[in-house]
Amino acid sequence: MNTNSNLYTVIYTTLIVVVVAAVLAVVSQSLKGRQEANEKADTISQMMTAAGFGSKEEFGKIGNAAVLARYAEEIDRAFVVGPDGQKVADLPLEKVYSPSELKKQNYNIKGADTPELPVFIFKNGVTVVPVYGAGLWGPVWGYIAFEPGSNVIKGAYFDHESETAGLGAKIKDDPEFQHSFDGEMIDFAGVNPFDIVKGGAPKDEAGKSLVDNKIDAITGATMTSRGLENAIDVWMATYAKYFLAEVEDSSDDVNANDDVNGDDAKEVKED
Amino acid sequence: MDAKLKETILNPIFKGNPITVLVLGICSSLAVTVTLKGALVMALSVIVVTGVSSLILSLLRNTIPGRVRIIVQLVVVAMMVILVDQVLKSFEATYAIDKQLSVYIGLIITNCIVMGRIEAFALGNKPWPSFLDGVANGAGYGLILLIVAFFRELLGSGTLFGYDVLGWMGYVPNNLVILPPMALILLGCIVWVQRSIQKDLQEK
Repeated sequence: MNTNSNLYTVIYTTLIVVVVAAVLAVVSQSLKGRQEANEKADTISQMMTAAGFGSKEEFGKIGNAAVLARYAEEIDRAFVVGPDGQKVADLPLEKVYSPSELKKQNYNIKGADTPELPVFIFKNGVTVVPVYGAGLWGPVWGYIAFEPGSNVIKGAYFDHESETAGLGAKIKDDPEFQHSFDGEMIDFAGVNPFDIVKGGAPKDEAGKSLVDNKIDAITGATMTSRGLENAIDVWMATYAKYFLAEVEDSSDDVNANDDVNGDDAKEVKED
Repeated sequence: MDAKLKETILNPIFKGNPITVLVLGICSSLAVTVTLKGALVMALSVIVVTGVSSLILSLLRNTIPGRVRIIVQLVVVAMMVILVDQVLKSFEATYAIDKQLSVYIGLIITNCIVMGRIEAFALGNKPWPSFLDGVANGAGYGLILLIVAFFRELLGSGTLFGYDVLGWMGYVPNNLVILPPMALILLGCIVWVQRSIQKDLQEK
């Protein structure tokens, strides 16, 4: 047979592409369940890390089943709020928001549809919410944990798809960067809920970062830092109504919160 | 086993090593050698991809139209790479490593060793030798990866396969070793060692 005729070439390439596509489709469908289970456990361990129940490495070592069990033990309730701050629906406890779902909500926040904003509240009162946005090379996302009924950050965990190793990838790999969020706060009432400052956030005399809504950016990763800041700003602005109502509710019983909010308001004015 | 087949297997491991002699696949060997675990998974992935795509293309070699043979090769290699990626994502033990290697698993398709061996060997040889050639070249690549990763993980993190080796005696990790330039320097040292053993590689 003449393997160089046009007809043969066209038929051959068509056939091989169809066969390869079929193989890939079958494999992708049959492995989907396992992959989703892995992704779910990964998402949960990121949320638990943000909420301070352990480190990502520890959760990685104990395995998926143990992560799910620990989550079931610690989680109190989860629900979805709308941009108006009102609760829309309860979430079943086994439901989490993986990056692909966050991506969908990110489009909704940008105006495609009404966003569903998940809120996860653990038994110790810590509230965890996700953020999602564009880094330099691909999406960046993460989970921010708040102290019970306040706008003070308890912890944060960030992940990315393809930021530069050693530079932008530090949002995930550098515990120091993630811990720099601890104790800072989100200014839900302000125009910029959070700042990741290039050149350094304001420091006190001892060189410690002030308790405000600003942290240091990562050296050499300006675009990733900016992307993460933008992700936090956009998502926190969308969550603002929910959190403003929450913080108001609980400020009656926690006096310290009033001071904290007072300082925060002053700082916004100075800006 | 006859001598020719033996040569097919042994040559790529040392004398004709794809990285140190053919100088193929350098980029990924810089990127994935920070930890031994990552290097091992990458090495196994490349072995599977080169072996199986060489086998498939060798089986198809007499039917492939000459004008589109590179495209057909690409389709088969791409399929193998996606399969490997999907399988790695499906297992608990490899999910985290797959995430860590991220784009580099997908980039196996651009690894010159794969297409190079298919074009140079699989299209002109029977399936069994082609499969062995693919596996052996993947193994030669993997061997160098593991050697580089051994030194980088040991000196850069003080660990091997994640287990503490130097840390307990107060070793301070050398961050320079973690950065890509050190992989290139280590690779240079391996080439140096190989060329001093194997004199016929030295340029006159």
